[in-house]
Amino acid sequence: MNKQEQQITGQLHSIESMGLVDGPGIRTIFFLQGCPLRCLYCHNPDTQNFDGGRIVTPSEILKSANRYKPYQGEDGGITFSGGEPLLQGEFLAESVRLLKENDFNICIDTSGYGQKKYYSQIFPYVDTILLDIKAFSEQAYLDMCSVQQKPLIDFMNELENYGFHGQIWVRHVMVPGYTDNTKSMQQLIQTIEPIQHLVERLEILPYHTMGKEKYKELNMPYLLENVDPMDKEKAKEFEVYANVLLAEQMSKDRIDLIEKQEVESSALESNVTLEEYNKIIGCFSNLPLLQHIDPDILNDIQHNLIIKKLEKEEILFHSGDDPNYMYIIYSGAIKIFNVLPNMKEQIFYIYRKDSFVGGHNLLSDSKYWYTGEALLDSIVIAIPSKIFNTYFSNKKPVLKEILSQSFARIRWAEDLINRLATINSSVKTAGLILRLAENFGINKNGQIQILMEFDRTEMSNFSGLTRDSLTRKLGEFEELGYIHIENEMLTILNLDALESYLD
Amino acid sequence: MSNNFTEERKKAWQGFKLDNWAETIDTRNFIQKNYQPYTGTDSFLEEPTENTTFLWNKVNDMIQDEVRNKTVTVDLSRFSGIDKFDAGYIDKDKELIVGLQTDEPMKRMMNPYGGFRMVKGSLKAYNLEIDPKMEEHFTEFRKTHNDGVFDAYTDEMRTVRSVGLLTGLPDAYGRGRIIGDYRRVALYGIDYLIQERIKDKKNLTGDATEEIIRKREEFSEQIRALQAMKSMAAKYGFDIGRPAYNAQEAIQWLYFGYLAAIKENNGAAMSIGKNTTFLDIYIQRDLDSGTLTEKKAQELIDQFVIKLRLVRHLRTPEYDELFAGDPTWVTESIGGMGEDGRTLVTKTAFRFLHTLTNLDTSPEPNMTVLWSNDLPRGFKDYCAKMSIRTDSIQYENDDLLRPIYGDDCAIACCVSAMQVGKQMQFFGARANLGKALLYALNGGIDEIKRDKHGNLIKVIDGIEKNTEEILTYDKVMVDFKKVMDKLAKIYVNTMNTIHYMHDKYAYEAGQLALHDPQVHIFMAFGIAGISIVADSLSAIKYAAVRPIRDENGITVDFEIEGDFPKFGNDDDRVDNIAQDVSQYFMDALKKTPAYRNAEHTLSLLTITSNVTYGKKTGATPDGRKKGEPFAPGANPMHGRDESGALASLNSVAKLKYQGCCQDGISNTFSIIPSSLGKNSQERVNNLVNILDGYFKQDAFHINVNVLERALLIDAMNHPEKYPNLTIRVSGYAVRFNQLDREQQEDVLARTFHEAL
Repeated sequence: MNKQEQQITGQLHSIESMGLVDGPGIRTIFFLQGCPLRCLYCHNPDTQNFDGGRIVTPSEILKSANRYKPYQGEDGGITFSGGEPLLQGEFLAESVRLLKENDFNICIDTSGYGQKKYYSQIFPYVDTILLDIKAFSEQAYLDMCSVQQKPLIDFMNELENYGFHGQIWVRHVMVPGYTDNTKSMQQLIQTIEPIQHLVERLEILPYHTMGKEKYKELNMPYLLENVDPMDKEKAKEFEVYANVLLAEQMSKDRIDLIEKQEVESSALESNVTLEEYNKIIGCFSNLPLLQHIDPDILNDIQHNLIIKKLEKEEILFHSGDDPNYMYIIYSGAIKIFNVLPNMKEQIFYIYRKDSFVGGHNLLSDSKYWYTGEALLDSIVIAIPSKIFNTYFSNKKPVLKEILSQSFARIRWAEDLINRLATINSSVKTAGLILRLAENFGINKNGQIQILMEFDRTEMSNFSGLTRDSLTRKLGEFEELGYIHIENEMLTILNLDALESYLD
Repeated sequence: MSNNFTEERKKAWQGFKLDNWAETIDTRNFIQKNYQPYTGTDSFLEEPTENTTFLWNKVNDMIQDEVRNKTVTVDLSRFSGIDKFDAGYIDKDKELIVGLQTDEPMKRMMNPYGGFRMVKGSLKAYNLEIDPKMEEHFTEFRKTHNDGVFDAYTDEMRTVRSVGLLTGLPDAYGRGRIIGDYRRVALYGIDYLIQERIKDKKNLTGDATEEIIRKREEFSEQIRALQAMKSMAAKYGFDIGRPAYNAQEAIQWLYFGYLAAIKENNGAAMSIGKNTTFLDIYIQRDLDSGTLTEKKAQELIDQFVIKLRLVRHLRTPEYDELFAGDPTWVTESIGGMGEDGRTLVTKTAFRFLHTLTNLDTSPEPNMTVLWSNDLPRGFKDYCAKMSIRTDSIQYENDDLLRPIYGDDCAIACCVSAMQVGKQMQFFGARANLGKALLYALNGGIDEIKRDKHGNLIKVIDGIEKNTEEILTYDKVMVDFKKVMDKLAKIYVNTMNTIHYMHDKYAYEAGQLALHDPQVHIFMAFGIAGISIVADSLSAIKYAAVRPIRDENGITVDFEIEGDFPKFGNDDDRVDNIAQDVSQYFMDALKKTPAYRNAEHTLSLLTITSNVTYGKKTGATPDGRKKGEPFAPGANPMHGRDESGALASLNSVAKLKYQGCCQDGISNTFSIIPSSLGKNSQERVNNLVNILDGYFKQDAFHINVNVLERALLIDAMNHPEKYPNLTIRVSGYAVRFNQLDREQQEDVLARTFHEAL
């Protein structure tokens, strides 16, 4: 610790070691002392005064934070709340830098009322900003908080100008008689337009009266004395409404994320019993792709086919392998993936029964640039290149089939890139659900159901999210009434809402 | 060996991979060679069958009647024993797994071997009467464990007991906390077990010392018990002399082994062990061969669990006050990791927990998940989901257990670990260290209790009365350590007396027949009031504590000036005091040798007796008033954790398991759903992360309750609306309706973690 750091101190009101609703995952919350706003509904009036609190150094914050690291999982971390944390800019900047150095996920819970000169030292270290939007016009803001709205607007512009890379949770406390109407929700969405591409969650928090007692203890007047708590169900309805509005307004970027991976190839042999072999060959001619091949030919080639049983997680082919076979999936599921530069696995496709892979590579004699691995216990039929080239590659209907599937895959890939390009987890999750629905969904009583037989880790690799984020997001969609999950069966309840995320 | 024997084995073990277990009794080896770990999710689970639902509804009605009417039925015509009752059924044609303690469901047995007064007292509480002839004959011809203990108790032992310094000692009923390896019945059949025990007895050569004589007698008792088990099963039409041939038989055989234990004994905790991985091998074999379906497999487990929910013992009202809600601690340990790194989670672990869905929530069997950081994520998620939904699961740290007990250990009662079939414990309830601290201030005199003549009772000799106006830490610690030294000696000697007599008059022959011939024994001591002691000493050290004394110089209250660190805020200054006191007491206990060379262990566990202990303890220097409840187990005192739940968990996690509190450290964690996360998916995720974080820091145990305080208040006022509402208290789960008002209020008063 250097001398200069020693001198930076902050005023800490208190610590909540287990905050589960203020930012993603499990968070340790440091409430900093002092806030210039005087929101009528404030439930922490004891943190408003700038005098008081315990004097702490950033390294003390780190020491305390370290005690809770074991609980934080993939998504959790530290949240600075208050009071207004941005008003202890120097202390906050030093604290978040130190925490980030030690690999903490960082959230700031703010009304946007801060010291501009420190923003550039704070933003790089922040993962999520919980942005409290109190009201949606200058006058309404003044009425609710006794301060100008401008600092909030400036703050949002600063985020944009700086190129803030984290995400934002927009929160609004709904007080009956103030903003519990659709017009207010429209205004809210307009207000956050400059930062909407960063918004990962939008929450309407129903006003409650649990802070009342504190006012008595502090001998302060409670100005919402005659206002009832906000009805939770109603607030939820407004939350759904606002989320749909926001989704409709959102746009997306694109990036490319794909890199080749080189691994050795391996020879392929049948590994099923004769009995199984014959049984599978027996059904062989029913495969859609083979409808177009002369039965006599099928009869001739059937003993040159390789039938391979793969256990879950067994590799079928590696990225960089020469294309020696076309594979038809007889049962189970094969995932096609690559490992990205950040060592994260990215799944491109999941192939099920009757799908085929590798035909295109044989036609163009190009190496695989992805790896194929069994996602479930699977059986594949491998057609050697020689047979493919002799009997298949000159059949128009077969080529047509391969081509049309290629198109479908290109569409899929484009869509995947779209989804990956956005940092927005809502878009990623909605996209994942829709693609799964398209490929594996079954229609039951007019609703689309998806049996989630792949575990969450696989699904998160597919969607480009962490496992915890995906789970959180699915939970949020369930709350919003878009989907319902029971016994690993996902039912889509509001298809329009999900589609609105993807235009 | 006979031809028949070879044929039976061939049939029973068909398809199993043979290894050492086929040569000698070695259940763990059988499991390791044959089980299939499961790393998937709960999506395969099936709903209950019609028969299951029918049976459960019938049983549930009987249970609800008993709870509502506060009555019990008792077989007044005979005493307990492995083979004393005719076969009994719920509805014979619909039952896949059969066997009841008596000839009717819910009918309790009279077990007089622990103490006859206990039977009489229990009957009286329910206005029942034993046939006077039976009483006359029994008391004339048979001496009980309780009689033996009181013949050998010293005055000192009687005193520490009557003032409530030691409470809950098993000196009038069965000690429990022994887990037979019931799996052996299924895997080997009784005939082979008898044959092996006869060999063991023959191998006991040498001079007839007291030890050898006792062992020979015990082996003979065990052989008779095995024969009785076989005969008891025959009454239900089963030959358990041979090994089980399929999954249904495996469950049935195993259950008969357990049923024998609960017919023979009425220990507080009659735990069943760690069976799901074992049973999964049989279920999987039948599924693979097409003789069983998933639906049927679940039906077998559901019906097995219905039987476990029917376990009943006859108890006195005083007993219920200590262990509220009629618990039986049919603890089943589920999950964990193997020593080779494979998980011991199988599909049957899911099936077992799934009974909480198929049969509604229930306090029994006591679902105990052995949590490891390495457990498959699908299982972690499922456990968290079931905890949130049912409040019926406790968790123990498998990563702490495995290095000490290996991977075939189970929990007896709440937190006591032992290798199944190889280790057992002498249960020893607990010492009230809150009271012991007051003795350090009051010259060893009890602060509340007076003798018949109204005189003060001096419980511990050689302690000087503290006369300081403001208590000083060093002086108090010197006296407190003296009290702990003396108390530890009395405690060990009292326990030695109890367990000597228990072996003599109420020996658990059936359970020990399902153990190895040589059994390692733990003598399990306990502390109640650790957080009171830590906070009191912290107050004395960091604030100014002024005792208020009565005319006898005995403290009646304390005035505290200034702030002091309190246990539950992750503050080393006070957390270390809690650890140091526990370690000191443990070391003090070890100085007195234990009966049968048992290994001393210590727990921080109170069950629901934290309320009773509180009642019997005067005001303490931490600001707790006379009569107020203690915190349960190792929990921080309610309302004193100021930094939220994880700080509280961190404090408890600092208490050392290995080498100190190796009989378990109990912690109960209650949180309201909306504070655990915004939606159900998040709540599951967050709970998994909390458990991972807590156990990664070498914490030992946690009970998880996720419920609204308002719901409990409603349940207090309208019990009929919540017939099966189950909550976890210290080390077990209980039907909320079965707690008395005082205990219900205690649960409500405790810290519910909630966020604004």
